[in-house]
Amino acid sequence: MFAEAFSIAFQFADVFAFLILAAAGLAIIFGMMGIINMAHGEFITCGIYVTVIAVQHGVPLPLAQALGAVSAGLVGIALERTIIRHLYHRPLDSILATWGISLMVTQGMLIVLGSSWQGIGTPLGSFKVGDYTFSAYRLVLFGAAVGVLAGLYLIFMRTGYGVMARATMQNAAMAKALGVRTERMYAISFGLGAALAGLCGALYAPTMTLIPTMGITFIIESFVTVVVGGANVLLGTAPAGILLAIVRTALNAWYGQIAGQIGLLITVIIVIRILPEGVSGWLSRRER
Amino acid sequence: MSKSARTTRLCSVAAVASLAAALAVSPAGAQQPPIKVGLLEDVSGDIALMGKPKLNGSLLAVEEINNAGGIMGRKIELIHLDPQMDNARYQEFARRLLQRDKVDVLIGGITSASREAIRPIVNRTDVPYFYTNQYEGGVCDASTISIGAVPEQQFSTLIPWMTETFGKKVYTIAADYNFGQLSAEWTRDLMKKQGGQVIGEEFIPLGVSQFGQTIQNIQKANPDWIMTLNVGASQDSFFEQAAAAKLSYPMGSSIKVMLGFEHKRFPPPALAKMHATANWFEEIDTPAANDFKKRWRAKFPNEGYINDMGYNAYTALYMYKALVEKAKSTKKADLRKVIATGEACIDAPEGKICIDPKSQHTSHQMRLIGVNPDHSVRVIKDFGLIQPYWLGEVGCDLTKNDPKTQYSPSNLPKK
Amino acid sequence: MSMLRKLNGPQTMGNSRAFWAGFVAMLAIALLYPAVSDPYDVGNVAYLLIFTLTALGLSLMWGYTGMFSFGQTAFFGVAGYSYGVISINLAASGAMTLLCLLGAIAVAALFALLLGYFLIYGRVSGVFFGIVTFATTLALAAFFGQTAGPEWAIGQARFNGFNGMIGMPPLELPWSGDVIVLEGNALYYFVLGLLLVIYLGLRVLVNSRFGNVLVAIREDPLRTELLGYDVRKYQLVAFVIGSSLAALSGGLYTAWGQFIPPASMGLPAAAMPIIWVAFSGRQDLTATMVGTFLLLLMFQTITVYSQQYALILMGFLLLLTVLLVPSGFVYGIARSLSLIGRRDKPGPEPVLRAGAEGPSS
Repeated sequence: MFAEAFSIAFQFADVFAFLILAAAGLAIIFGMMGIINMAHGEFITCGIYVTVIAVQHGVPLPLAQALGAVSAGLVGIALERTIIRHLYHRPLDSILATWGISLMVTQGMLIVLGSSWQGIGTPLGSFKVGDYTFSAYRLVLFGAAVGVLAGLYLIFMRTGYGVMARATMQNAAMAKALGVRTERMYAISFGLGAALAGLCGALYAPTMTLIPTMGITFIIESFVTVVVGGANVLLGTAPAGILLAIVRTALNAWYGQIAGQIGLLITVIIVIRILPEGVSGWLSRRER
Repeated sequence: MSKSARTTRLCSVAAVASLAAALAVSPAGAQQPPIKVGLLEDVSGDIALMGKPKLNGSLLAVEEINNAGGIMGRKIELIHLDPQMDNARYQEFARRLLQRDKVDVLIGGITSASREAIRPIVNRTDVPYFYTNQYEGGVCDASTISIGAVPEQQFSTLIPWMTETFGKKVYTIAADYNFGQLSAEWTRDLMKKQGGQVIGEEFIPLGVSQFGQTIQNIQKANPDWIMTLNVGASQDSFFEQAAAAKLSYPMGSSIKVMLGFEHKRFPPPALAKMHATANWFEEIDTPAANDFKKRWRAKFPNEGYINDMGYNAYTALYMYKALVEKAKSTKKADLRKVIATGEACIDAPEGKICIDPKSQHTSHQMRLIGVNPDHSVRVIKDFGLIQPYWLGEVGCDLTKNDPKTQYSPSNLPKK
Repeated sequence: MSMLRKLNGPQTMGNSRAFWAGFVAMLAIALLYPAVSDPYDVGNVAYLLIFTLTALGLSLMWGYTGMFSFGQTAFFGVAGYSYGVISINLAASGAMTLLCLLGAIAVAALFALLLGYFLIYGRVSGVFFGIVTFATTLALAAFFGQTAGPEWAIGQARFNGFNGMIGMPPLELPWSGDVIVLEGNALYYFVLGLLLVIYLGLRVLVNSRFGNVLVAIREDPLRTELLGYDVRKYQLVAFVIGSSLAALSGGLYTAWGQFIPPASMGLPAAAMPIIWVAFSGRQDLTATMVGTFLLLLMFQTITVYSQQYALILMGFLLLLTVLLVPSGFVYGIARSLSLIGRRDKPGPEPVLRAGAEGPSS
């Protein structure tokens, strides 16, 4: 009985971790700047490949993963300075531009890196509860998801950057008038979003098939979470993750994965219809 | 745009080789118009992993055939286009090759969807079409000649052995599309015949990469072995995640190892205890196979595993050569007359293979392979030549009529 | 000349006599084209023109009305499958196939009406409109992808899962006592005729009072509503018309290849209409039509000759458009040409700002 309950909780935590880690970076970029980043998957891929290359060169896995996140962040800042900054307040054009970047990067990586790499293997072994065995690393993933949420809370609520970033998010012109260097806020935020995407890739790198197009496997889940969560990362992403993880775990267990996948898409349609600003919009309106 | 310029750019190696060969052979031979082979293989996008070996196999075969004087003294001109995994592009390019380039034969397509996209277009012409993948079987179409292995060759060998060796309870995980669903159906039927049962069946949408729930469902069902029919890079993540969760059931499959070379892509022991039946895998150790591997490696020293897709693409061209030389014609009707005699055979690197007149599918030398804990591969059993018997048994006879349909165990011809 | 007056107006480029002279010349070239070209190219052009219909529909919805639909492929696919289901079950041939095509469009239009009602009357707008339509097309693709089993069929027509539905007849037209199959030259003239009628019809529509209201909605839905217009009714009508054009594309495509797969509704297919229209210039029908055709031809050619570098070139082109000519390449070029052409009399300045952009209110 306990084993059954643990199994259900474990699956829920696993789906939750995937949704949160996949979505956090996208949510920051969308929430701060209104940019829908279609190249989100490529930042994830960047994190994955940097991690794998580092591990193959003898770097210990945790350090390699940190490298993966940081490199994705740096690439993100570079991209923001050269291209994305022209696209603020043009959300539809930003979709097209980042889609273009995504096409170029994916196919470019396929040509340069080739399509098959040997994986690096999942660390930490397994543990047993009742008749079930579980990969211990999945707990690390769940811990990382909670850690990312907590970290974002601390960054946005307790640091100088956080205060200024939130001010920029709410009213960029006013923030600028009060002396906030909004351009720098945008660059840092985009970098942070890209780094979180890279972190997601770095964390999942040991558990998946390595192929340059693998970023897209995260895309639908991340978009769904962000849309359901709404523009505010702090208020929206976690509740959206919980809601969607419940929907998905339940449908996966009862009707199989296809129901889970279609269920996720239908949830989005319904949420947008009844809560056009996402969960965070609804929550913040209730506060007012 | 001159066609020769394009061909040179597209498949420079083959063209250069054929040019060199053309200069070497007598001028009379060089004056004959080339035989045009249209090839559609995806070399970009997700599926390039599969498409690249297929292109390589074709290039190697064309080079060898041209160096040996071509087909009836005519050189092969290979025109390759990359449809980028897009069904609409498959349709456009099939038309382009057939109508503009006027190819003598069309070869290619990876997914069954791409084959189904091409078939109606080929069927309006009198050009033969070679589909070179192993697939879910059942295409009964006079224009289509299938070179890869089909379920009766793979499952009728694999499943009885797995049942005898490991037990009568199987859990199937399969990609949720035609190939996976039909292969699962085959598994169900054959398990019943073996007195076994499928105690769990799970269909996974293409592109899914997370398998926590699946792994636990399998543990809960506790089968004797697992039939793994998951497809694509994302779904292959199952092996890594199952290994991390210490799932250590024996596994069987019709596509793993020889096709996606998962044993080379995942660190051991993720694929340990995997079993598969195949007409080709790189580890075959016979003189003919070793000779083929040596030639492949000489031409593509930096390419990885030689999988069955690349191999089948290679043999397809030799099969075409044999057909044309026996028919003394490149016309579909004439080639089919040769097939109807039942003597359309070649000595391939796997051994002797023939085209079955009723279904126009290919007989194969099937071998059962097992993956060791260190991911080396051993041959467990040699089944010899296995016929593609199923279509003929259920009533497809292309020598008599041409329904142009794909049948399945639950969609049989009307008698 | 009253007809010509209806075709011209502030919502379209190309209102001058010179434009129409050029238009007639282009039409004449198009009509003579099969006489001077080989059959493959004619068939190929006809095939590419099929997709410009989707683009025109999206231009009406997105460029003129400000509804950003990321899911036109849903209607494309629904019409394709409907054509298959209807024509296979009726074992249609001859003129019947054209009725099947109309039926397929009607099914897709009904679907558009329902979805449009759900969205527009739910006040979904801006980027979220795109996300819902996108989710719809992906959900349909996922659904049809797993319909391989024989239980997924309507009458004789099997959906056949990921491999796609096959076995539907091509379009056929009774012609002086005989029946001709619509392929090659016949298909070319058929599609060209359709395109001509639809293009001119849409020009009349957007330059009419109705069209002015659509543009007003794009510019400021609230103000338009305060002026007394039932904004949502106008949006819904535009949505259904635009989606029906995507459906027409889908039906024609399915009949052309006798094949419709779920991938026609998934990614990347769903993104293509947006790329065509954005590249061309969504706020003008002529730019959309010309640009989409050129882009399709260019993509196809790139794919033939550069193989695995094609996707990189396409991505680069898209990025370049957004950064350099956000209003669209064809539109931008045509605008600057027309400004040079008649410096003496600058016409009414078309409004560049699209309503769907900026924060949704």
